[in-house]
Amino acid sequence: MITQHGLKLGINLISSYFGDIVAKVCECLLRKGTLSLGQIVRLTELSRENVKNSLLVLIQHNCVQAFTIQQEGGFQEETKIITQYMVLFDIIIHHMRFPKFLAIVSEDLGKECEEIFEGLLQHGRLSVNQILERHKQTSNQSEGNSQEAVQENFSRLVNARYVERCPAHQPFLAPLTEEETAAKKQGAKSAKTRRQMAEASETLEQRALAEAAPMESIRFLVESFAETKVDEQNSEEDPHSVTVGEKRKQGDLDLDIEDGTRKKKKEVLWRANFEEFVRHLRHKACIANVRTRFDDGAGIVLNAMLEATRSTETKVKMECSVPLSMNTIFEEVMKSEAGRSMTLERVRAALVQLGCHLPAIGIDETYSIDLKNIIELAQNEEVESIVLKRYGREAYRIFRLLSKAGHLLETDKISDTTFVDKKDASKILYKLWKDDYLHMEKIATYGGKQSQFLLWKVNKKSLWEHVLDEMYHAGLNLRLRTAYEQEQEKEILQIPREKLVGELAKRYKRLRKVRIVLESSLMKLDDAIMLFHDF
Amino acid sequence: MEMSKSLRYIIAVCGGEFIKFITAISIPSNSEYMRKFFFSIRMSQSQGTSTVKRKRQDSSPAQTPEQVLLSLIKSKGDMGIWIRDMKRETNLPENLVTKAVKSLLVQKLIKEVVNIQSKGRKHYMAAEFEPSKELTGGTWYVGGNLDMAFISVLKDSCLKIIRKMKVATLEGISDFFKRNKIITVECTTPQIAEILRSMVLDNEIIEVKSTGLGDYSSIPIGTVCYRCATGIGLGQGPKIGAMASTPCGVCPMISQCTPDGIISPKTCVYFTKWLDFDF
Ligand code: SF4
Repeated sequence: MITQHGLKLGINLISSYFGDIVAKVCECLLRKGTLSLGQIVRLTELSRENVKNSLLVLIQHNCVQAFTIQQEGGFQEETKIITQYMVLFDIIIHHMRFPKFLAIVSEDLGKECEEIFEGLLQHGRLSVNQILERHKQTSNQSEGNSQEAVQENFSRLVNARYVERCPAHQPFLAPLTEEETAAKKQGAKSAKTRRQMAEASETLEQRALAEAAPMESIRFLVESFAETKVDEQNSEEDPHSVTVGEKRKQGDLDLDIEDGTRKKKKEVLWRANFEEFVRHLRHKACIANVRTRFDDGAGIVLNAMLEATRSTETKVKMECSVPLSMNTIFEEVMKSEAGRSMTLERVRAALVQLGCHLPAIGIDETYSIDLKNIIELAQNEEVESIVLKRYGREAYRIFRLLSKAGHLLETDKISDTTFVDKKDASKILYKLWKDDYLHMEKIATYGGKQSQFLLWKVNKKSLWEHVLDEMYHAGLNLRLRTAYEQEQEKEILQIPREKLVGELAKRYKRLRKVRIVLESSLMKLDDAIMLFHDF
Repeated sequence: MEMSKSLRYIIAVCGGEFIKFITAISIPSNSEYMRKFFFSIRMSQSQGTSTVKRKRQDSSPAQTPEQVLLSLIKSKGDMGIWIRDMKRETNLPENLVTKAVKSLLVQKLIKEVVNIQSKGRKHYMAAEFEPSKELTGGTWYVGGNLDMAFISVLKDSCLKIIRKMKVATLEGISDFFKRNKIITVECTTPQIAEILRSMVLDNEIIEVKSTGLGDYSSIPIGTVCYRCATGIGLGQGPKIGAMASTPCGVCPMISQCTPDGIISPKTCVYFTKWLDFDF
């Protein structure tokens, strides 16, 4: 679900990167969901040309996925194939994280890789040839950075999974077969049918994404350079043309935007593998969290374990780390410089801190860390600190009590446990409730003297959503303020640097500092957004 | 006897007022019949209506209002009673109640206590009782107010003890209090448990289960114990998250703030203050 301010932030990002027209198309898709070209034209009242180009931009930058479906015609009507466009909200928001992604690549693989990767981020999708071309133009020829070196670095990026093959341009979603539809209806019990049922109950969008994704076996496969150039390797360019088979007849399709990309289609296109970066940042967040909660040792052990199993993780939101034996863990810990000073005993103690149960005599035991729990604790901390700063110390204590309890508590009981005066407690509870931080229930009793009791609780699911929305809102505000500050000092920015003296120099310096503060705050805030949305 | 029956009815309904009224009527002394008749009424009044009008009987001249009130207050035990409820339950006029209460207070037979639920109300209790938890708000209340000074002394002491012991169980901390006579007032183990619980909520200490290793070696595995965290962020109070370090994260107006509204990030004073750098 996209929250209201998430949507606004997304539109703001698109409008500042790609202009207002593209933003308008994007907004239409964000608000209305998946649509066809015609529908977008009607809803936005933009010209067909404008919408088409906007969609091209959005597809190029991975923010929109196109797919085609077959629409049953009515009586005596032909079945039609129509192209649909779905917006990818997460990738839109990823655009403001590009500096983070770049920093990761730079730190891990060095400057050259960073440059290549930067090109991919700027252009959304590129073929190897385009990357080489771009490198020729931008780099200093005298350095003699040969093309081989670029290819080498590109391969490193792919091997590290920072770069992947783009999803299919416009996969065709075949109508559900008789069997699948039947399975859906009957609800048969065999495992196989159940799986089919699960598939059938997926949304159209989920199916489209699954269909578009390159097969795991070739997702990170770089064919030799020569091949790319000479052989257009048609069979590999779109793996799904094979799987979809005869159903897909190129000629029949309403390939609205095919023209623009037809030339490129001959080559394999690459893009940043956003999933890998989210995974990377998730790991980092987990490690940072255990480090502050326990100590460096716990951080080092968790880091080693996650590093070793990074490529075997099947999805980003892994609930537990991939199990490893004690021997492997110890070996992995020894690989890092910081870990080399740790003894086996110390590693075992760290595992205990991280929540593993170590048997007295372990043979063939494997250990895995509850990552979901770490993320949840980090989320709690984030929300608690908002409560502390916004509502004060006593509210913080009350909120933590309710959050830990996880069920309804009565006002007096809350006041007693938290040492907050009864009257104050009521006031605080009311305020938190008014701002949607608490859930309240009234219970009336008859007969007794006090006829009404108020019960309170933290409803995590809805609160987390509310907090996430506030975070998007705060992020949007930071961006709007940055733009405003820039706008205010527009004239200064137009004056050449050397002419900036006296008062002007001061203003320039101030603006720089303001931008740094605002932008770094946004990056930090984004960590929290990811904690609630992506981890 | 027809008449006597209907009269009895009137008496039952109207109560004593009617009796007073008819007793006041001068009865012709020579009328034997009338004398017998009124006698029978009086008799029936004292028997027949006794259940209906018991309270009235209690306050009959045999008992002074003071006695009535005292026994009522005593009957309420450690809950005491609000002065308005006394009036309601005894049917005594206000001035009588006030007077009686005053005199009972002077005689130290009753005392005034604070009711935490409604501090403004005058609440009384027999001298021999101690106010119940419902009235006082529990052990942590003094005179109807939370005893913050006492609580913070206890908190500080607990923190020091835990720092000293590194890892401590509730019993350990409680023993430490007793052995070293840290505070002069008595403090029970459950009270210390309450203090510890609130410190955990404040994130000043953390609650852990003993692993039986290292610092925990003297504590049986699985026992709940308290420690100041060794981690970088814990035991030093709550850490401020990313959201809470931006103005909007702590802004009370966030729900009214819109890009071009009256409250907007462009005109926002919180931002202006935040970005007010000195050069
Ligand atoms: S911009 Fe200002 S008024 Fe708006 S939410 Fe942020 S701090 Fe509050």
